[in-house]
Amino acid sequence: MAGAIIENMSTKKLVILGVILMLFQAFSFMVGGLIAPSPTAAVSYLATKCVDNEKTHHKNPKWFTPWGPDQCSKIKDFDEAMVKKIEANNIVFAIHIPPPNTEMSTWFQFLLLILHFDIAFKIQNQIADGASITIDVRLAYRDDKLSEWTQMAHSVEQRKLSCNFTAAKTIENEGRLYDCDLLPFMELGSVAHKYYLLNVRLPVNERKKVNIGIGEINDMRLVGIHQNGGFTKVWFAMKTFLTPSVLIIMIWYWKRITQMTRPPVLLEKVIFALGISMTFINIPVEWFSVGFDWTWMLLFGDIRQGIFYAMLLSFWIIFCGEHLMDQTERNRFSVYWKQVIPIVFGSFCLFIFDMCERGVQLKNPFYSIWASDVGTELAMAFIIVAGICACLYFLFLCFMVFQVFRNISGKRSCLPAMTKARRLHYEGLIFRFKFLMLVTLACAAMTVIFFIISQVSEGHWLWGGHTVQVNSAFFTGIYGMWNLYVFALMFLYAPSHKRYGDEQSSADQAGNSGEDTQLTTTITHVDGPTEIYKMTGKEAQE
Amino acid sequence: MRSISSCGALLSVYYPQIFLILTSGSYLALSSVVALGANIICNKIPGLAPRQRAICQSRPDAIIIIGEGAQLGINECQYQFRYGRWNCSALGERTVFGQELRVGSKEAAFTYAITAAGVAHAVTAACSQGNLSHCGCDREKQGYHDQEEGWKWGGCSADVKYGVEFSRRFVDAREIKKNARRLMNLHNNEAGRKVLEERMKLECKCHGVSGSCTTKTCWTTLPKFREIGYVLKERYTTALEVEAVRATRFRQPSFLRLKQSRGYIKPTDTDLVFLERSPNYCEEDTVTGSAGTRGRLCNHTSPLTDGCNLMCCGRGHNTHQYTRVWQCNCKFQWCCFVKCNTCSEKTEVFTCK
Repeated sequence: MAGAIIENMSTKKLVILGVILMLFQAFSFMVGGLIAPSPTAAVSYLATKCVDNEKTHHKNPKWFTPWGPDQCSKIKDFDEAMVKKIEANNIVFAIHIPPPNTEMSTWFQFLLLILHFDIAFKIQNQIADGASITIDVRLAYRDDKLSEWTQMAHSVEQRKLSCNFTAAKTIENEGRLYDCDLLPFMELGSVAHKYYLLNVRLPVNERKKVNIGIGEINDMRLVGIHQNGGFTKVWFAMKTFLTPSVLIIMIWYWKRITQMTRPPVLLEKVIFALGISMTFINIPVEWFSVGFDWTWMLLFGDIRQGIFYAMLLSFWIIFCGEHLMDQTERNRFSVYWKQVIPIVFGSFCLFIFDMCERGVQLKNPFYSIWASDVGTELAMAFIIVAGICACLYFLFLCFMVFQVFRNISGKRSCLPAMTKARRLHYEGLIFRFKFLMLVTLACAAMTVIFFIISQVSEGHWLWGGHTVQVNSAFFTGIYGMWNLYVFALMFLYAPSHKRYGDEQSSADQAGNSGEDTQLTTTITHVDGPTEIYKMTGKEAQE
Repeated sequence: MRSISSCGALLSVYYPQIFLILTSGSYLALSSVVALGANIICNKIPGLAPRQRAICQSRPDAIIIIGEGAQLGINECQYQFRYGRWNCSALGERTVFGQELRVGSKEAAFTYAITAAGVAHAVTAACSQGNLSHCGCDREKQGYHDQEEGWKWGGCSADVKYGVEFSRRFVDAREIKKNARRLMNLHNNEAGRKVLEERMKLECKCHGVSGSCTTKTCWTTLPKFREIGYVLKERYTTALEVEAVRATRFRQPSFLRLKQSRGYIKPTDTDLVFLERSPNYCEEDTVTGSAGTRGRLCNHTSPLTDGCNLMCCGRGHNTHQYTRVWQCNCKFQWCCFVKCNTCSEKTEVFTCK
């Protein structure tokens, strides 16, 4: 009889393997911390107030640029507009992305725009309760500074204002700004052009109550967030390196389980499926975004991550189940449907939510599910259901871990009374389970700790003369860690060729048919009865 | 009022000329027009120190922003002191930063701080709007010498640091004399800029997979300049009297010390400091630069500083009757021209004798 590689490996070899993996782990952290810039960059844009003197509305709109050779006629503030009798419907807010002397790049991967209004408090022009602002926005692009602008999106959107005035509402405090929440504005899934232009109007229609009761707007500010090109390059390089690494270990693992004379057990299949999902998330499909304008790459990345997490969570459940060491035979996926359903359902809810948000943004980049009441309720419902599923899963997992440890302590007291073969078998089971439990807890703890650090810190540390990008280190380090986790899992839990427990006692086997059933369902049975074994048995009888 | 209108007239005389020269001409000829116009403009602006004139000639696009920033400071100063005897007016030499106050008083401290903060604020806002180029992205970033490559590798958002640095280089350049007043002015300039930096708001946005917080991106937001005015007004009320200390008997003053303290306690970075007590600002006085309160509007029922008793320093007030016309029953929109009716009533206005 034989077990997994991890049981038969010597302590020396196991330590050497651990050190090698630790070195790779440290290297993946350092790649993010020292080589890559921070993952994202934020650029603040203050919209220029352009005056549209055209009275007619035609199909081909005129584009208003805030600066450059053909810039629009501007006003500095709305007192100036008041003097010139310019109406609200003739104001166009113009934003050019990126700032002067720079250009956007396909390496930026996405462009997220956040909207913030500067609204001044006026006693006679206050923000009504539940006020909603209507935004008529057009997005255009061009690829050199002398081309015409080409429209790529146009939409009329509504956003709910959520503003708070902290000072007393008195005449003395007129002119102070409300404290308004940030509003989601736009998300582009690819940055395929060099220059973008936004023209935003806030049309007023008194009869329909459009943009009435939104206070006195002083300014419109946008913040543009994109992925840094340097971080993208480091990330792509990492993925390109990791894909063949995990692929090779997958092929090796497949050969190991196909070399056996028995079909693979459920645990072996699940480990292989985990490798497939890791490879799926590793494959650097993003390289195409540098050459093609594929706006669905963000959504595709989300789906791949969802598949991997669902597979990982399922693996943990099945690994616990297969190591319960009670007398129940498992080795069938149907045994675990109660625990797997929360995973599938929670993942499905998040998938629907992602499709409702990012999927719709493929057509209309200005769409936000949070902008309407129905959308907000739906989004909250999906997120709450996913949260409940996560809690249920966690409870199931904790209960199964508790069961395994309870059975371990039960088996441990019986170990001295067992035969050598059965004792080695159970010791192998216990060691396999404890080792994976320890490694998994370490990886999960590392992920949580780095997540908290990246939330709290400014994003970079000054370490001696070097700047350490904590957020980038978090991304590359954790990503590398889970790859190493799957790699080590497939290597250490592959079937072993070594055998132990040469003694065979037919009397014991005949007398413990129940535990024999347990033995046959685990991955310890590698070779099974071979011809040599049968011939040896026959010779002994003769 | 006369000095305020003349100050506004002075600024308006130069601004149309500046705008006219800078915005005329075709795009390709813009550089030569700017180069030619810059010398004319920079030489005509009154009161520029030599180093300021050099900066003006090398960055003609920024001089408009600097003028707007100085005006922003002056306007905010006049707003914050609109009810006081001193309403941010002064006699004296006229410069792009308004009249210079001769007395090293609390009012001078406030004026210098608000002007330096105004220039920094205007430069930062102009960078956000795209009206200024090369906003801090011209530094080496991550070892890249090319600005474009640095932007694509790690980004470089123009934040308040560039505006503060620009204000420091330009506004501090007017301090030529080596005396105690120079130390006071430099300190108050820096205090104004520090207040602006402190009031920058850090805002963060979570984004990533399904809107979870896998990625959090933060940026700083420029506050409205009125908030800076309120903060500096509070610093003005708690301004500290200082005196200059010489390292040796014959050297120039080297640092400022609190006057009421026994040891050598220095003011903090954000304190406003003054060297001399303020005049009462009641009478026009060319020596102190006081414009006086003669002709100022006052409120004859108010017990505060805008009341006629305090504002007119006991000289009494005149009463004028006139018909006030104002807009009423307005239908408000979020900006610009609004539709109103016109109402009128007879009312009285009071001015100091």
